[in-house]
Amino acid sequence: MSGMEILVPGICGMGLHLKMDGFRLVYTVIAVVMWGVAGAFSKEYMAHYKNKSRYYLFFWATFAATVGVFLSADLYTTFIFFEIMSFTSYVWVAFDEKKESLRAAETYLAVAVIGGMVMLMGLFLLHNVLGTLNMDEIGPAAQAVLAGKETFDNGQAIEAAGGFASARVQLYTAGALMLFGFGAKAGCFPLHIWLPKAHPVAPAPASALLSGILTKAGVFGVIIVSCTMFGSDGSWGLLIAALGLVTMFLGALLAVFSVNLKRTLACSSVSQIGFIMTGIGMSCLLSWAGEGNLLAVRGAFLHMVNHSLIKLVLFLCAGAVFMNLHQLELNDVRGFGRGKPALCFCFLMGALGIGGIPLWNGYVSKTLIHESIVEYANLLREGTLTGTEGLGGVPAGLVPVLTNPEVWRNAEWVFLFTGGMTVAYMTKLFVALFVDRHPVRQAEFDAMSSHYMKPLSRTVLTAAAAILPVLGMLPRITMDRIADLGQSFFQGTGHAHVIEYFSFVNLKGGLISVGIGAFLYIVVIRQFLMKPEPALLAAGDSGNGAIQAAEGKSKGRCYVDRWPSWLDLENLVYRPMLWLFTAAALLACRVLEHMTDGLVLLARKTVCRQLPEPKAHIEGNWLALVLGSIVDGTAAVWDKLLRRQRGEAVRVSAVHHFIEREKRMKHMGELVEQSFSFGLMLFCIGLCLTLGYLLWVFYWGV
Amino acid sequence: MSEIILALPVLLPIIGGLAMLFHRSGGEIRWSRNRALLTAGLVLLNSLIVAAILAGGADGGRRLVVFKLYSSLTVMFKLDRMGAVFAGLVAFLWPLATLYAFEYMEHEERKNTFFAFYLMTYGVTMGIALAGTLVTLYLFYEMLTFVTLPLVLFTLTPEAVRASRAYLYYSIGGAAFAFIGLVFVLGFSSIETSEFMAGGMLDPARAEQNRNILLLVYVMAFFGFGVKAALFPCYRWLPKAAVAPTPVTALLHAVAVVKSGAFAILRLTYFSFGIGFLRGSWAQWVVMTAAMVTILFGSTMAVKEVHWKRRLAYSTVSNLSYILFGATLMSPVGLAAALSHMVAHAFMKISAFFCAGAVMHKSGKTYIYQLDGMGRKMPVTFGCLTAASLSLMGIPLFAGFISKWNLAQAAFLCGDEMSRTGGGAGGLGRWLPYGGIAVILLSALLTGIYMMTVLVRAYFPKAAEAVPAGKKHGGKPQVNEGADGMEVTDPTWKMLVPLVIFTVMIVVIGVHSAPLMELLMKIGGEVG
Repeated sequence: MSGMEILVPGICGMGLHLKMDGFRLVYTVIAVVMWGVAGAFSKEYMAHYKNKSRYYLFFWATFAATVGVFLSADLYTTFIFFEIMSFTSYVWVAFDEKKESLRAAETYLAVAVIGGMVMLMGLFLLHNVLGTLNMDEIGPAAQAVLAGKETFDNGQAIEAAGGFASARVQLYTAGALMLFGFGAKAGCFPLHIWLPKAHPVAPAPASALLSGILTKAGVFGVIIVSCTMFGSDGSWGLLIAALGLVTMFLGALLAVFSVNLKRTLACSSVSQIGFIMTGIGMSCLLSWAGEGNLLAVRGAFLHMVNHSLIKLVLFLCAGAVFMNLHQLELNDVRGFGRGKPALCFCFLMGALGIGGIPLWNGYVSKTLIHESIVEYANLLREGTLTGTEGLGGVPAGLVPVLTNPEVWRNAEWVFLFTGGMTVAYMTKLFVALFVDRHPVRQAEFDAMSSHYMKPLSRTVLTAAAAILPVLGMLPRITMDRIADLGQSFFQGTGHAHVIEYFSFVNLKGGLISVGIGAFLYIVVIRQFLMKPEPALLAAGDSGNGAIQAAEGKSKGRCYVDRWPSWLDLENLVYRPMLWLFTAAALLACRVLEHMTDGLVLLARKTVCRQLPEPKAHIEGNWLALVLGSIVDGTAAVWDKLLRRQRGEAVRVSAVHHFIEREKRMKHMGELVEQSFSFGLMLFCIGLCLTLGYLLWVFYWGV
Repeated sequence: MSEIILALPVLLPIIGGLAMLFHRSGGEIRWSRNRALLTAGLVLLNSLIVAAILAGGADGGRRLVVFKLYSSLTVMFKLDRMGAVFAGLVAFLWPLATLYAFEYMEHEERKNTFFAFYLMTYGVTMGIALAGTLVTLYLFYEMLTFVTLPLVLFTLTPEAVRASRAYLYYSIGGAAFAFIGLVFVLGFSSIETSEFMAGGMLDPARAEQNRNILLLVYVMAFFGFGVKAALFPCYRWLPKAAVAPTPVTALLHAVAVVKSGAFAILRLTYFSFGIGFLRGSWAQWVVMTAAMVTILFGSTMAVKEVHWKRRLAYSTVSNLSYILFGATLMSPVGLAAALSHMVAHAFMKISAFFCAGAVMHKSGKTYIYQLDGMGRKMPVTFGCLTAASLSLMGIPLFAGFISKWNLAQAAFLCGDEMSRTGGGAGGLGRWLPYGGIAVILLSALLTGIYMMTVLVRAYFPKAAEAVPAGKKHGGKPQVNEGADGMEVTDPTWKMLVPLVIFTVMIVVIGVHSAPLMELLMKIGGEVG
């Protein structure tokens, strides 16, 4: 299955590039199966919701985008479908529009957007260093850069493409940025925060897909970055393996503490992604050590496949519970599964599969990953790696970690212990659902046994669950072939070990985990995470009997949430960080906002001040002012003395009256002045005329 | 002389608008119908003329000298590819915006003034697009201030008066700085007519002697023209002007006026001073830093703002500086990227504004916190808004992604180029373009915050949680009522047709951008 490629040039700028090969085929088939099953299940699950058409629109849009991610043959195409997928699946999380859903959706969107941006930055950088985003070409090009060569295979000079730093540093930066983006979607620590919040609030079929396959789209990217770009790079392998181990352990720890059905499953997803990441990291390390890395590669790939299928079943089981009870807290759903064999069968298959119990599918993939860690530790113990040739390209500080067999012995124990925790929390869920009895509503639950699931849902769920043991019991025929299809995508090299899955050596690992799990369940969960049913707290309202017991004979025990509520990475770190960042930015912007106008204002107040306005003076004479004020004052005093209440009609100030008077007087005065001066002028003219006449008479007259 | 056709799209709307302004009529009802016909006819006719001109080719050979003030002060129209992109964009958007304005303005008084100046602005904007010399550009640039002023002032509220006063002060102040640039460019020009030349028109020998003073003048002119492009710190008029009627804010303050500023800066940088002269100089780093600061500033302020149109205005502030950032990369790909964002932003921002206007028109809601559940009441409007928002964020499949991708690519190339040549400004130059990419992505994140909050509110109302499930009975069903008591619905076809066309354009550019980018790369190739 290779060579089938589709190139659509010009779409979205750089064109889409799709391709089909073994890995992609497997994941396309899984996507189709999962969407088919979830879609069939949705028919019943969504029957009573009002926004069905919106749900189905985004349901299928996400399907298209997800298949697009898995088929993409260059990272640009991956990015495009990845972003579409993030945004369409957002609607799933926000679906029921409740407060916590919206909050979870907000987290989901923030992680998706930030992850997308960081990834885009990484893509820019990668394109800049390597000059290509094609998945077939970035491998050799990255190898050339890491090996410190002068030119790529095509003759292009490497340093010419580099910018601010050496090409090597740029490549690592690009890888880290892309890992951030893909890891955020995969649910890798410390970006797993969205998973435990988003899964419980989304509709169950959507949770199944979110957990089963959308996280795998992130893993797909991690594989490309790790296996294709840094396929045989020791320090990168160490990073991925360390992230994987931490994610695996913390996820399982959260799951053990969780008291919510779907939240437990979501934390379990985080943990399982950690297993896959560990496998990917080990494949890098083995390849770096010069050994064949097929064990790790096949383990990681098979665990991806297994986890997709198992989580589909488990989340749909949770959906079957939720659509009857509309509750997910373990205390509320206790005993729901009693007397419902179909549900019990499906859940049991999933639980056994994910718990890594021999004869179920999870066992096979976990064994492979476990063996890869053992193989690496053995390599170190044999001293194959102490030579200098194997240590190329690793910073000196990392060498002790990479070559110390004790470190990897401990890693193996972390792995086994996490496997044990998996068994423990799945037992917890199983016991809660199918063994415990609900103190109040047990009869009600038992009455639902005949009609809790419609035939269609029951059929598809049972069919999906039946796949799991088939895969696990016939690994030679089924799982090995799947692994053969996928391993070339991981750059798997070396000869294929024939792993005897059911030999004692391999069974030992699984059995140790089961032992640890049993111990944890009995000692930690039964003793520490449960408490006796509080007796007779309240009679009456038996509906939401989370902590209520009836009839007084409370022999049962209920689950308690012992996880300190403040210990939440999102509320403790991310939200304050984001808030701090926005607050600081806003403060700076506020200051800047007023800067320009402030400067202008400052200039106006200081250097460029306008001339002061002349003091406002009242028109007219001071006499009018003085007289008017006196009259006003007198009137006010008079009013006060007589306690006369004036309502609306306020006394008009006498000043204006006087000014008016004065104006009129002045006007009169002017008139008088004018007429007087006119008269005077005429008199003068007359006088002159008279004088002239007299002179004329005196000299020339007579 | 067939080149006279170049002056037609400029003069026709101006004359039409003036005629409308001085029209005295008896029957208001008859006149209002005739005015609608006249406006629609003129706008359509003008757009057809532009289409005809563009169909005739835009290789820069067509010029029309209108008159000469003095030997080098030539007022001249000239059609080259970059002008053609702007002219085509404006001619495409104007008829649709006019259609929208008919419905939006139907309840307003003083429609005569509105449509008269609306028409005249069309002509003046075409004048900027087709200007062949810096003098012509400057002339129309100043005119643009004055013909758009009455539109900002339109509502005559105290707010509008304040806004228009700020607009006037900022614009005239900016134009004064731009004028200094004009004088120096003409003084150092090597061409007698001083027409725009791809690659600059400065006389190299004389320019080199006065290098630093010319760079200073460039920075001043950049900030001067930057006032209309809402460059920090001279952006304040733009959010204030959001009080104008929506067709004005959408078309003028998201496209015509602000893009004229950006366009003038492109002309100044690539066609007057020339990138050969500017590249690697301290002036480049100054203006690039200013653009980067504005990008972040605008986005951050938009996050803070709760008035919907003002938020979009801050978003415009930020997005315009994407264009300016592309311009300050001073490379052919930078120019192509800047132009691609100019086109993409025109569509997505006018679409976003029109959605805001449609909601205001139908329901009277202007603040974001009032929008709970509106997505269901006005499905088409909010569908279009969703596309515009995702495009603004730069999500693949939409136009915004293409232009941001181009910008980031151009920034990378510029950064590599600089690090090879040592960079300017004491090594700072090596880092600045890379910083620009980080700024673009950070701003995209902020865009996500300020656009998605609107959408989330509209589609996933929080009202549901206010009423506990048990107490629902008894309360009457909540009906989302508009200002006039009617239930809110999508507006009529006059508003929806432009919106849908814009949305289609956003997606078309987003999915199939090759022809557009080919054209823009050709423009870039000319100036390199």
